[in-house]
Amino acid sequence: MSCNACSRRGFLRSFVAGSALMPGIMSQLLADEDPLAPKQPHFPAKAKRVIFLFMTGGVSHVDTFDPKPQLFADHGKEVKADHPEIQNRPGYERIFLKKPQWEFAKHGQCGTEVSTLFPFVAEQVDDIALIRSMNTSHSNHFNATLGMHTGSFTFARPSMGAWVSYGLGSENRNLPSFMVIAPRMTYAGAQVWASDFLPAEHQGTHVLPGGEPIANVARRAASTRLQEIELAAAQEMNAEHLAMRAGAGGDPLLTARMRSFQTAFGMQTEAPEAFDLAKESDATLALYGLKRGQTSGFGWQCLMARRLAERGVRFVELIDTGSSENWDSHGDMMDHARLAKNVDQPIAGLLKDLKARGMLDDTLVVWTSEFGRTPFNNKADAKGREHHSWAFSSWLAGGGVKRGIAYGESDEHGMRVARDGVHVHDFHATILHLMGMDHKRLTYRHSGRDYRLTDVHGDVVKAILA
Amino acid sequence: MRGMALTLFVLVALSGSLAASESGEEFFEKRVRPMLHGQCEKCHGPEKQKGGLRVDSRAALLKGGDTGPALVPGDADGSLLLKAVRHLDPDLKMPPAKEGPKLSDAVIGDLAAWVKAGAIFPAASAGVVAKHWAFEPVTNPPVPLPLSDEVKTTVDAFVMAKLRAAGVKIAPAADKRTLIRRATYDLTGLPPTPEEVDAFIADSSPDAYAKLVERLLASPAYGERWGRKWLDVVRYADSAGDNSDYPAPNAWRYRNYVINAFNQDMPYDQFLREQLAGDLIAAGMPPEKAAEHIVATGYLAVARRFGGSKVDADFYLSIEDTIDTVGKSVVGLTIACARCHNHKYDPITARDFYGLYGIFSSTRFSFPGNEEAQRPRDLVPISGNVAELKAFEAEFSKLDAEVKRVQAELTEKRKAFAASVPVKLASGDIPNGGKQDFGVGDLAEPESLVRMKAGEMLQLTINPKMDYGADSTQIEFEIVESGGTRTWSLSRDVVEHFADPHDESRFGAWCLLDATAAPALFTRLERDAGKHAGLHVRRGSAEFPLVEAYTPTTPLKIVNATLAPRSIIVHPAPKGDVAVAWECPADGAFTIKGRVIDIDPGGGDGVAWKLERRPGIAAALNGALETTKLRDAATKKRDEFAAKKPAVDMAYAVAEGKPANARIHKRGEPKELGDEVPRKNIELFGGQTISDPASSGRLDLARWFTDAKNPLTARVMANRIWLGHFGRGIVATPNDFGTRGAPPTHPELLDHLATKFVESGWSIKAMHRLIMLSAAYQRSSAADGAPSADYARFERRRLDAEQIRDTLLDLSGELDRVPGAGHPFPAENTWGFTQHNPFKAVYDSSKRSVYLMNQRIQRHPFLALFDGADTNMSTPVRNISTVPTQALFFLNNPFFHARSEALAKRMLSLSDDAQRIAFAYRLCLQRAPSEAEIKRAKNLVGTYQAELAAAAATASQSVEQRTLASWSAFARVLLGSNELLYLD
Repeated sequence: MSCNACSRRGFLRSFVAGSALMPGIMSQLLADEDPLAPKQPHFPAKAKRVIFLFMTGGVSHVDTFDPKPQLFADHGKEVKADHPEIQNRPGYERIFLKKPQWEFAKHGQCGTEVSTLFPFVAEQVDDIALIRSMNTSHSNHFNATLGMHTGSFTFARPSMGAWVSYGLGSENRNLPSFMVIAPRMTYAGAQVWASDFLPAEHQGTHVLPGGEPIANVARRAASTRLQEIELAAAQEMNAEHLAMRAGAGGDPLLTARMRSFQTAFGMQTEAPEAFDLAKESDATLALYGLKRGQTSGFGWQCLMARRLAERGVRFVELIDTGSSENWDSHGDMMDHARLAKNVDQPIAGLLKDLKARGMLDDTLVVWTSEFGRTPFNNKADAKGREHHSWAFSSWLAGGGVKRGIAYGESDEHGMRVARDGVHVHDFHATILHLMGMDHKRLTYRHSGRDYRLTDVHGDVVKAILA
Repeated sequence: MRGMALTLFVLVALSGSLAASESGEEFFEKRVRPMLHGQCEKCHGPEKQKGGLRVDSRAALLKGGDTGPALVPGDADGSLLLKAVRHLDPDLKMPPAKEGPKLSDAVIGDLAAWVKAGAIFPAASAGVVAKHWAFEPVTNPPVPLPLSDEVKTTVDAFVMAKLRAAGVKIAPAADKRTLIRRATYDLTGLPPTPEEVDAFIADSSPDAYAKLVERLLASPAYGERWGRKWLDVVRYADSAGDNSDYPAPNAWRYRNYVINAFNQDMPYDQFLREQLAGDLIAAGMPPEKAAEHIVATGYLAVARRFGGSKVDADFYLSIEDTIDTVGKSVVGLTIACARCHNHKYDPITARDFYGLYGIFSSTRFSFPGNEEAQRPRDLVPISGNVAELKAFEAEFSKLDAEVKRVQAELTEKRKAFAASVPVKLASGDIPNGGKQDFGVGDLAEPESLVRMKAGEMLQLTINPKMDYGADSTQIEFEIVESGGTRTWSLSRDVVEHFADPHDESRFGAWCLLDATAAPALFTRLERDAGKHAGLHVRRGSAEFPLVEAYTPTTPLKIVNATLAPRSIIVHPAPKGDVAVAWECPADGAFTIKGRVIDIDPGGGDGVAWKLERRPGIAAALNGALETTKLRDAATKKRDEFAAKKPAVDMAYAVAEGKPANARIHKRGEPKELGDEVPRKNIELFGGQTISDPASSGRLDLARWFTDAKNPLTARVMANRIWLGHFGRGIVATPNDFGTRGAPPTHPELLDHLATKFVESGWSIKAMHRLIMLSAAYQRSSAADGAPSADYARFERRRLDAEQIRDTLLDLSGELDRVPGAGHPFPAENTWGFTQHNPFKAVYDSSKRSVYLMNQRIQRHPFLALFDGADTNMSTPVRNISTVPTQALFFLNNPFFHARSEALAKRMLSLSDDAQRIAFAYRLCLQRAPSEAEIKRAKNLVGTYQAELAAAAATASQSVEQRTLASWSAFARVLLGSNELLYLD
């Protein structure tokens, strides 16, 4: 973004250009050779950035996006399944189908059915490509969460956001390319946004809703002017150090670090500006269900995602809760009502807002959880549902995605995928494709082998591409 | 579709037969190998093994795939390979119809002829593997150049030979200030003091530098620096790594063992053997020696844990992690690739992997605790009377079992309460210091009366709400019988008898209840509590909840609370209720009234209360009381006995387990078991089986992997030491010396180093001397035309995370040089971490960073920010990043600001500005400032101070505050400068 470059240039000129040492160093400092410089995708793509909405704990598909009339009808019927959640589990020798607790209805022009848990999102179905045949490789939170983020269900690997940043770079170097707004840690902790073996520039920067969203971003100097005095002295010292050592070839290490101070300086202004909602209209706040002055909650996270996307952040992830008090409704499915209410209006608001600003055309919005929940339990009148990796629902909306479709099917009870299964690896391959990248070509050489997000798997789900 | 499993794609047709003019080898090379290699290997080669089959070696064909051997030499008709290409079996047509037509008869004829002739498949041409440099014995190459001024050491001879051949410019020697800074940071991780710099510069003797190196090697800081490098390689952490990430409280002993081993220059082969099998080597040693050896096996015990919901279910992954780390750290091989299939690139088979697997599955690892079993076990005692400890543990587990038995009985008895469904009659909520009256029923209106049967109860429960502090609550509770004469009053009936020992919290119809869980009568009585005469307290096993009776006739003020004369006061627990209940003695109709008063306005958020009616449970209550007493007695007995635990230090280490061979996990699936594999060395190193089947075999493993003839062990470590000094290895992939790793840039030099290493008795310090005394190490980092490639100049590099933090603490005068020990983890008996609430902590310390607590599920924020080691997998090289969030640290981080201010205070202890500036430059940058720099520093401090005085936000500061603030700004400029953070 040219305006950022201008401000960096301005910063440089005002504080270091006065010295006689400067001309050669100036050009080195302004060179765009950092790892976050924007890169061309493998092929032209509609989506330029991703907003990844991650619902922690396992959202029940049969109560939200996957209507199963037969599951209502067969409530209480005993079924058999060699299911990972019941193997060798005392009290789970017998299992019974359990009916959904929310009714479904058709919505929009497309008529996609959504349950009453998501009344606001239901109004946006004409912009959504819903996948009802998702499946994953593990039914533990830790593994499935890691898998949904990194494609690896056991070992630490780079997060999808880090891969996208690595593949495409950043459009705004006053802000990180991959930002994760999460009130708490989800399962697997910081591994879900780590860059692992990819260069660290691509790691997710954790934004904590509330007072100081990015660590150390709040200016400690009593005034901007004081910090400018200090920084000018520092840059002058570094410039002299560089001039005495760099010779003709320059030293990218030293100039990169000097540049990083310019970015940091910019971040102190740009990040608080990005996080300041003062200029958002009441109507916009209302769209997200936000009260003026609010600095947390999923509505705040969603509005922040739009603001960061506007500012060129490549990959924004929002995590709704943390590793506790989440969608993991073993005890009582009614808890889903609270969790859905927390995200429903904000998500719908985000979609509407992006659309109204023309951003939905080149922003890919992804909604998913780590797995679904069992259509059965060990008692027909059990209040909760268990983890279910065999079938669940996720959706995509925006840049490059077909609008108003439902793809794939689970079986009559939502137990297994019945048609057009989409494994997490396929999901990842599709997201990369939408960003203009071939998941087989986006590789990184590590430990003697070329790694990729999809390991050795993954097929792009072509049917949902616009 | 088992028949489809053997899938052969043969797309190129060559025709011919095994002609007499061609040798078997030629025929194979011309007609068979090109076909197999060029086309088939796409699906049955290094990249993919469809159906488990590889066709790129004779052995692989003989072994075959999932449907059995593909090749029977001499028997074409009996070979599955031929059967497949001839389409004899409808389920086994190769290539499959969708992939291409049936092969021509000529091609099939060639294959058949080759098989009939014995299927000659020369091993040497089975790929580059057999000739891979790193698998060849270490040679002792001749030193290529005579020693001279430019060729100071044998190391230089190898380096210079290549540089001269390239004809590039070579940087001059670094100046002495640069050199002492480089060497000191390199060996100790800390900056040299100004005095050390002066002394070195003043020492003009020819061996001044050699003496410097000796002094640094002798410093205890050396082990703290180089031990950390080894800890990187072994992915050391202080926690488990599974979903709840339990602390590993004794892992620190292993960390300190590593630091000590480096400081003592323990021979590297011994160091490895102790880590792999110290417990076995220790047999018969004096206790202290034995303890060190046991601690050494923390190397294995710090294996990452997986899963976490079930004990042991995912331990096979920890074994894989162990083999992965042993392979990478000791011999530079990615052995764990063979877990699911034979290694695609290196000569390591699944049998090799499971041969090692059996060794580790026959080993018992200390267990840190996990979600299911929340306490550590299998730690290894290393001091004190172990027999006594075992006796203690046996007795303790008996006492513990008794507590659990009685507790289970109690739980069973309390089910009666759970079954009793209460009916709420009234409820309320009072603010801090507030009060509320309640009343149910009016004698004048019979319809409003509460009709109860004998044995039913009325229970008044007090809940602490969010904040339980200062929740002392006075309650009044009265019941009047309609048409009768009887009344019951809590204060009247209970206060008088409260301290009677026989009453057991029951006073006629009244019961005082701990309602934190199912209601239970209180079991303990304390008279004259807090030395207040007449203030008696009843409580259960915990401090709260409690019920008090204040019996005197004058009020008593305790802090903010005022106790009314002859009153009953209750106090709930932090997260639990307290209750008073009345048991109806006979059927009837009643009115109820009462009052709830928060008598402690000292703080908090008041209390909530509710009045409920519930079925009679008095019998259960009494029965439970007896059991509660038994439980408390058993608990007391156990806990008193626990205090007698013999003082025994424990190690997070390994011990021998149940010796057994492992079976192959097909495709890495632990449930799909294949052949049993004897515990054995990998074939590449000889393939010997273990010497004693009754042992795990770790001792054998330790010997095999540290054999001086092993082609990898010495090379791998020599490369790591070189890497530590130069910032890059001779082999750029220090954990992978296999065929996919980077080839050495200086193969002869690497072998020279490896040879010297073994000759020196595996002395790591000898390697430091050998490398650091070379001219190559002492070159300037200034570019001036000298390339960084091939060590024509020294490569500038940033300090790593630990060096930065230690430097900041050192320069501010705050570094605590006493070695660290354990971490302030929460007490083990409080552990209840789960995947939903995993263990997470960051402990502040002013000790060296190597002693910081390193977790797996979250990284230490500082170490993570500055590219510290990955605690989840081996980190052979720190990849140093430069990101703006690091720059934000130098702008705004409180730790950085505090260190800068402390440094500013050191400066301010000097009187003159020029002195202060000179002191700071000499301390931080090991040099005197130039006149221009002094001027600029003064200018910065002056401008900063003037701006502080002018700015509205700081105008009210005192002169002293402004002085400190402006010198702190100067300190930040120095501490955050590139000159400080980069080593020339």
